Amino acid sequence: MNDIKHHAFLFDAVRCIDCRACMVACSVENNIDMDKTRIWVSGIGVKGRFPNLQRGTLVYHCMHCEHPDCMSACPVGAYSKAEDGPVSYDPDKCIGCRYCMNACPFGVPHFDYDKGLFEGALIDKCTFCPQRIYEGQEPACVQTCPTDALEYGERDELIAKAHARIAEHPDRYIDHVYGEFENGGTSYLILSHIPFAELGLPALPETPINRVSESAVGLTIPVALGWTAVLSGVAAGVHLYNKKMEERAAAEKEAEEAK
Amino acid sequence: MTRIVSRRDFLKMGLAASGTLAVGQMLPPAVAQSARKSGMLNAEGDGVISTMCEMCVWRCGVLAKVKDGRVVKLDGNPEHVHSRGNLCPRGQSGLMNTYDPDRVLTPLVRVGKRGEGLFRKASWEEALDTVASNMLRIKEQYGPEAMVFSSTHNLSQVQFENLLYGFGSPNYGTQRSLCFNAMITAFSLTYGIEEPSREYEDVEFILMVGRNMMEAISTSETSELSHAIDRGAKLVYLDPRFTKTAAKAAEWIPIRPGTDSAFLLAMINVIVQNELGDCDFVRQYVVGCEELPDAMRRYTPEWAEQITGVPAATIERIAREYAAAKHHAMAHPGWRTSNFINSFQTERCIAALNAISGAVLRPGGCLSADLTLEGAGLGAPPQPAYPRISAARLDGTPWKYPLVPLKLGVFQELRDNILTGQPYQAHGWFISRQNPILALPDRSKTLAAFEKMDFIATVDIIMNDTAWFSDVILPEASYLERYDPLHTIDGKAFIRQPVIEPQGEARSALWIYKQLGERLGLGDYFQYQDEEDYLRQQLKPLGVSLEEVKEKGYAEMPKAAENREITFNTPSGKIEIYSETLKNAGFSPWPTWEEPPVPADGEFYLLTGKVAQHTQFGTQNNQLLHKYSDEPRLWMNAQTAAQRGLADGDWVQITSAVGTAHSLLHATEAIRPDCVYLTPGYGHLSKGLTTAFGVGASDSALHVTYTDPISGGQALSQTFVTVTKA
Repeated sequence: MNDIKHHAFLFDAVRCIDCRACMVACSVENNIDMDKTRIWVSGIGVKGRFPNLQRGTLVYHCMHCEHPDCMSACPVGAYSKAEDGPVSYDPDKCIGCRYCMNACPFGVPHFDYDKGLFEGALIDKCTFCPQRIYEGQEPACVQTCPTDALEYGERDELIAKAHARIAEHPDRYIDHVYGEFENGGTSYLILSHIPFAELGLPALPETPINRVSESAVGLTIPVALGWTAVLSGVAAGVHLYNKKMEERAAAEKEAEEAK
Repeated sequence: MTRIVSRRDFLKMGLAASGTLAVGQMLPPAVAQSARKSGMLNAEGDGVISTMCEMCVWRCGVLAKVKDGRVVKLDGNPEHVHSRGNLCPRGQSGLMNTYDPDRVLTPLVRVGKRGEGLFRKASWEEALDTVASNMLRIKEQYGPEAMVFSSTHNLSQVQFENLLYGFGSPNYGTQRSLCFNAMITAFSLTYGIEEPSREYEDVEFILMVGRNMMEAISTSETSELSHAIDRGAKLVYLDPRFTKTAAKAAEWIPIRPGTDSAFLLAMINVIVQNELGDCDFVRQYVVGCEELPDAMRRYTPEWAEQITGVPAATIERIAREYAAAKHHAMAHPGWRTSNFINSFQTERCIAALNAISGAVLRPGGCLSADLTLEGAGLGAPPQPAYPRISAARLDGTPWKYPLVPLKLGVFQELRDNILTGQPYQAHGWFISRQNPILALPDRSKTLAAFEKMDFIATVDIIMNDTAWFSDVILPEASYLERYDPLHTIDGKAFIRQPVIEPQGEARSALWIYKQLGERLGLGDYFQYQDEEDYLRQQLKPLGVSLEEVKEKGYAEMPKAAENREITFNTPSGKIEIYSETLKNAGFSPWPTWEEPPVPADGEFYLLTGKVAQHTQFGTQNNQLLHKYSDEPRLWMNAQTAAQRGLADGDWVQITSAVGTAHSLLHATEAIRPDCVYLTPGYGHLSKGLTTAFGVGASDSALHVTYTDPISGGQALSQTFVTVTKA
């Protein structure tokens, strides 16, 4: 478990029984306040008309994107993406602007309105349990899951496992591993029997959103320099014009006084 | 950046300070010392200690992470067959029971009126003397039978029983008749074993009758069922509600409540008429195999359709599928089977189905009736014989309920005899790890019975409703703070040991019972110095030291000889689908149809059933479970609600023959139109429960007492209610 090159989760909505052991485990492991959480459940609840019914639950926390939008939106570099998967957040750098909350397509980062500026962590989100995974343990949410609806391991291997499961029971699963390519890939992969949109997952393009935004952001300096030049020119022109006008006005005034 | 103490840190410091003060003055840090000695804790007091969960009775192995003398995380023990590294939400939340701000941490003596909630702190000396002198006074004035003892299944119960039977009272209230009397009596009469084990390894077809395994979680079994479904096993699930188990089933059958046995009788009929079962097995091992087809003949699928509302063709198909799976079919025995007065017949049918498929007792089969006695192979402190008890039991066992085993009893029947004073008057009640006010049906009757008592003492860790109405409360250490006797499972004897010092003055049940026993003159039944000595005496025959077991978490038991000779502990030595015992007691010797009552027009069946986050009535005050469980509401079919002008989120009044309750309405498609469902265990009366008080409605306030005359089981789904806008 220690030689994992790319840590990832696999969640299987077909297996999930919505018992919430993962939520309690996360809360205890990370000492989360009683009125806050880092894991949520969403989904369809009960769908249909009695007696033709269906349930579907999505358990989700930070997706640990390969191209994290929170990171590209953060003006102070409080987010980082580790080569081996986890997206982490540095409370000491955070200025509390909450751009990350707007940027995340999954609505994961949460602002802690109870804490003042001096108390550090303003934003809360899943850390991938570094205190566990680098000690050879599974993340708390995965470890406790009684039905193996949550699994943890090497990203490539989990993707292969997910496809194998679909192939074995094509009648049970939608033939898609959410997060394999969405937004350029995530480290939280999802299998489901319910359309992903109904579970509350956004339809995302394979091209990471921030590849577009980052290319625009990359132009900031050239654009800024260009604008500086243009504006400086305009300013210089205006200045010259004003000067000329002032001279002309002065000349006119002089002429008038001379009359 | 300047770091200011946060609210959380401040609270922690407060807790730590109060904890250290109390513990520091009372005790040497025995837990830390012993854990350091065995290498489980390092010099800083950090480490991992192996123990056992007590958030339900499944008893998963737990690895408790300890930091600075506080338990900070619980993980499932991979070496324990019940957890295999996993824990359910309740298991995960266990440390919040221990750190519940509402813990009772000193003995308390009532100063106000009963139920007023006014207590004063007392020393252990005073509290124990008060309890003992009251019990001795009652014994002297009215005889030992005037004391009622009650306790719910737990590992220290053997010493509780010493207290009760040593004292000389026959009046023992267990939770069993509220739970699994129907299952245990049916399987005891049919197979001669109480509870058959379940093996999922090769199972291909599983029939579950109201066993909501995905919400009433038994960690390993829930996991096994889930994996079996993954593998392709077919689950057919009968329940009036679309539970989370129903959602995982290949087929959910929303059967009419109370008619499970009609469905099962028709299945048996289809199988035996068409000789689809394991005929060789049946001929060899079953009593009544010749007459069985005749006895079942009238239970045709068409007959069952009229009663159950399930199409005859569906019943026939399921019977054939079940039979086709042969030894790989399992009819699950269920667990809380106290639903209707005919639940005993339902269980008899399940026992019969497992017999005619030949699955029972087949090595590695789905239902291998492997009988291992609790505690067999372990030592124990010397156990003197009990005094002869001649008084009749107030709960009617066995003089009114001849087939109910004494250790099960008929708890709910106790109160009528307390209220009438017949055949004699009870005067005192000693309660340990039990909450009769919320556990028993018809709460007002329980409260009236409490009123008749001269004296009530309760052992608990928090101010549960029963403690709230008691005269003396003895604070027990939580399961993370104490030892209990060893628990044997899967060839290992597992230990429950303290992972932190007991907070305040809380003490283990082993200590409390012994202290009380000595004051009652029953010292001979408590021949152990302390908890560790008790465990050493248990371990003696194994030749293993306590220190080794503490470190490893368990002791290996000697391998029992492989004995697969098929015998049944019944009068005939065979499987008794036809039971002479039942016949002699005046009941039907065959599994049979008994028509349960049905709701009148405008009434609903009141159903209850577990949610994954709670165990009975004892976990609603756990802040972590409160945080992650849905708000308890009354479920009603959405279309029925609309017809009655009720909307989701409305306040409604629920009225039964014995009480009323108020709840928010949950209008949902996930329930039959003739039923409503209430999450059980809510509606606490104790204001000493700051998280749970005021949350939800009490099912106990609504439940009517109905007892099955054969098994003594309470019929919990036989209460009918009306629902109106509040």
